[in-house]
Amino acid sequence: MSTRIIHRLYWDFEKEELWLNEMAAKGLDLVRYRWGTYTFEQAEPGEWIYRIELLPESARKPASRRYLEFMADSGVQTVATYMSWVYFRKRAADGPFELYSDMDSRIAHYTRVLRLYGSLTTALVATTASSLHSVTLNGLNFFTLPLFVVQIAILVACAAYALRVAARVRSLKAQKQLFE
Amino acid sequence: MPPETQGPLTETVFYVLLALHSPLHGYGVMQYVDEITDGRTTIGPGTLYGALTTLAERGWIAPVEGDAGGRKKEYVITAAGRDAVETELVRLEELLRNGNRIARKGQQ
Repeated sequence: MSTRIIHRLYWDFEKEELWLNEMAAKGLDLVRYRWGTYTFEQAEPGEWIYRIELLPESARKPASRRYLEFMADSGVQTVATYMSWVYFRKRAADGPFELYSDMDSRIAHYTRVLRLYGSLTTALVATTASSLHSVTLNGLNFFTLPLFVVQIAILVACAAYALRVAARVRSLKAQKQLFE
Repeated sequence: MPPETQGPLTETVFYVLLALHSPLHGYGVMQYVDEITDGRTTIGPGTLYGALTTLAERGWIAPVEGDAGGRKKEYVITAAGRDAVETELVRLEELLRNGNRIARKGQQ
C-alpha cells in the first residue's frame, strides 16, 4: 500500500479537519499524525469521515481512554492522539459523523480550544516581550532580526485565532438564547 | 434526593432517558433515537458520552449490573429518571395545550 507523508502546521483545527476530509475524498486516508507530520495511505476515495477533538485532558489519561473506548464501541476509530488532541474517523457508509449534536457540547468544546490558545497567546506575549527587551538592549542584527520577526508573526497568528474562537463561542451562546 | 424544581430537559437528555427504558449501550442509544425520530435527531457520540456521564452521576440512569464482563457498558433508566421524564411530559403537555389554544386558535 502506498503511503504519502505531508508536513503541515495548522492553528485552526476545523481547517485541518476540512483538509483531512478533502484528502479522504481523494482516497488519501490519514493513518498517523505526529508533530505536524501527516501520514496518508492510498485507499478507496470517500471511505472515511475525519473529525478532530480537543479533550479536557491528555489522551493518555484514564478518563480520556474511557472516552476513546466508548468511541471505539460506537464505530469511531482513533487514528492518532497528540497531547489532548484526537483524530477520529468513522466509515462514511455508516451515515453522517458529527461529534456533537447540541449547543452545550459545542460551546464546551470551543471553550476548551479557546482556553488552550488563550494560554498559548499569553506565553507567546511573555517570550516576545523578553525578546523585545534584549533587542532594545543589544539592537537588531543579522541573527536576531529574523528571529524577532518570526516570533511576532507567530504571536499575531495565535492571538488572531484565539479571537476568532472567542467570537465563535459568543455567537453560539447568543444562539443558545433561542435554540438548544 | 431532595425535591427540586426541574427545568426543561434538553432534547438529548429526554431522548436518552426514553431510549434507556430498556438497557442499551451507547451505540444502541444513538441508533434507537435515530430510529424513533425518523433521523431528525442524531445524537453525536461526543454529546452522548457527556449526557450518559452526567445522567449516571445524577442517578437518573445506572449501569446494568452483572454485565458478564462485556466491555460495552449498558445503562438503564432508574426510578428517579422515570420521575424526571414524567415531570417533563407534564410540562410538554402544558406547552402543547397552550400552543394549540393560542397559536392555533380557531384552526381546529
